[in-house]
Amino acid sequence: MKKWISLALCLSLCLGLFAGCGASSSSAGADSSTPAASGSGIAAEPVKGEGTLNLYTWEGMFPQDVLDGFTAETGYEVSYSSFDTDETMLAKLEAANGGDYDLIIADDYIIETAIAEGLVAELDKTKLENLGNVNPLYQGQFYDPEDAYTVPYGAGVMTLVYDPSLTDVEITSYADLWNEGLADNIAVVDNYRVINGMALKVLGESYNVTDTDTIRAAGDKLLELAPNIRLIKNDNVQDDLLSGEVAAAVMYTSQVTLACLSNPDLKVVYPAEGVGFGIMAQFIPSEAPNADAAYAFIDYILRPEIAKQCFEWLGYYCTNAAADDLIEEEYQSFLTLPDGFDSDMEMIENITPEAEEMHMQVWTEFKAACE
Amino acid sequence: MKQRKSLWLLLAPMYVFTLLFVAGPLIYMFVLSFETRAETWGVIHEFTLDNYKNIFQPVYLQTFAESFRLALTSTALIVLIGYPFGYFMAKLSEAWKKRLMLLLMIPFWTNSLIRLYGWIIIFRANGTLDKILMGLGLTDAPLKLLYTYPAVVVGMVYALLQFMILAVFSSCEKMDWSLVDAARDLGASPAKAFLTVTLKLTMPGLLSGVILTFIPSMGLFFIADILGGNKVVLVGSLIQDQLMKAHNQPFAAALAVVLMLLTTAMIALYKRVTHSDELEGVL
Repeated sequence: MKKWISLALCLSLCLGLFAGCGASSSSAGADSSTPAASGSGIAAEPVKGEGTLNLYTWEGMFPQDVLDGFTAETGYEVSYSSFDTDETMLAKLEAANGGDYDLIIADDYIIETAIAEGLVAELDKTKLENLGNVNPLYQGQFYDPEDAYTVPYGAGVMTLVYDPSLTDVEITSYADLWNEGLADNIAVVDNYRVINGMALKVLGESYNVTDTDTIRAAGDKLLELAPNIRLIKNDNVQDDLLSGEVAAAVMYTSQVTLACLSNPDLKVVYPAEGVGFGIMAQFIPSEAPNADAAYAFIDYILRPEIAKQCFEWLGYYCTNAAADDLIEEEYQSFLTLPDGFDSDMEMIENITPEAEEMHMQVWTEFKAACE
Repeated sequence: MKQRKSLWLLLAPMYVFTLLFVAGPLIYMFVLSFETRAETWGVIHEFTLDNYKNIFQPVYLQTFAESFRLALTSTALIVLIGYPFGYFMAKLSEAWKKRLMLLLMIPFWTNSLIRLYGWIIIFRANGTLDKILMGLGLTDAPLKLLYTYPAVVVGMVYALLQFMILAVFSSCEKMDWSLVDAARDLGASPAKAFLTVTLKLTMPGLLSGVILTFIPSMGLFFIADILGGNKVVLVGSLIQDQLMKAHNQPFAAALAVVLMLLTTAMIALYKRVTHSDELEGVL
């Protein structure tokens, strides 16, 4: 009997450990994807490329139709490998000295680091006929000011979403989240730069202030928000909004897309204080084994009709201006920016370690205060 | 002589494995905790004590206190539920013991994360529990049960209860029940016989159960994240945040080192107080 028990205990301990590993939350970038609207046939061209495109990005970034269409047209096989966090990607790229992969899609801030480390090849723009389709709003940003290395593929835009049937508060700005009428009724993503940034915006500051006193002040402001916070998490926040667990949510764009597709009555708000956004961009590593395949792929998905398919599948904001009008009506309100959109837009950038540390401290205090 | 040599050869893979996968990471973490974080990414090999100093900020000390509080609450509840369970299980017939053991093990065939999601379905607004309560007319609106402290405690107790049950059970099972009869014959009341004989003799089992539940509950932050909506900040979640989000590897390492030292100290204290050199089944 004793053996039995020890065996049972060992087994359960081990399982517990594995569960712990599995629980770590997924990346901030691509957390989910939406079902695809199936694509139309693509005219085949005679020029065929050789070999394989080694594509490295999050899981589920492209509908299979698009990948198959690319192979059928260009002859390059697509070998798709995925990472869960940007950090994993950078670590692997470092280990490969900028080789192994032909095309990588990752978040803005990590690309800044990768470029600084010399792991990214400068783009030969003559090979990208469709480059003009990119929405200029998403170009020239901090991680690649001259657009020399990257082409954007999808943007996350920080919107507020709320269910008007669950609250009487009309939300038009971040400041409205502080309203007492929303007590214990808000969900926010587990991302301290985004949420602390929200408080900074309410105080009229930039996301990227490095002055620790200002960050501290934002933290104090955030403590006043604590009674309204019902939950903080990264995965499937939309479920809590849809089930009525919360009335309002600050969540990632792909989650907004899923929520709005399930419940069209939800309201998407571009906060009056200004809109934060992040960009996923494609780049070719410095030692890419098959850079030609990468160019062919970038150019292929820059075509408006292909981009439309991709973004409707991906559920992130469309970075291809030429595709904006092609996007189906039901997706328009959360995949493209409204006409005449002129809010202040600002990206979250890498900041000094001291500022990071203050952010983290303020964030930990905030989380504990929400209990 | 020859036999000793072959014994060594047999054991060598074990030593190599232990050095590589246990001692190696520990040393790495220890060294890392004294290094400086780089501007944006990685670490610089520069000695500093700042990471340890940083822990003494009230907000971080608070997470240690919070972890202790949760671990203590859960362990206390687990003792209250698990001890009687193990005790009465040991008194069953052999056949029923086996059946009950099987029932205890079956949940482990499913990933614990998935079982936790089960609790979400029970607790969430308009979820199973809400429907039952409203159906019975006990409540008239959905209760906010999910993402609360009690929900986290329920999750902890659920995840760790069987360790206590099995430890107490094995202890009770080995016990010589005629000693209890003797106590009763000599005039002890059932309560007194339990306290002076049964409890004392099963103490090693109870204590190993406490260690088996207390120590993991210091680290099971994913339960607090999932059922508590990330609002209960434990050392485990702080380490994860520092490592995965703030990219402050040295500080995360320092937190981990301190957490390990604390748990080691607790086990040592335990041994001291209880004078038990052998904790049943564990050490």
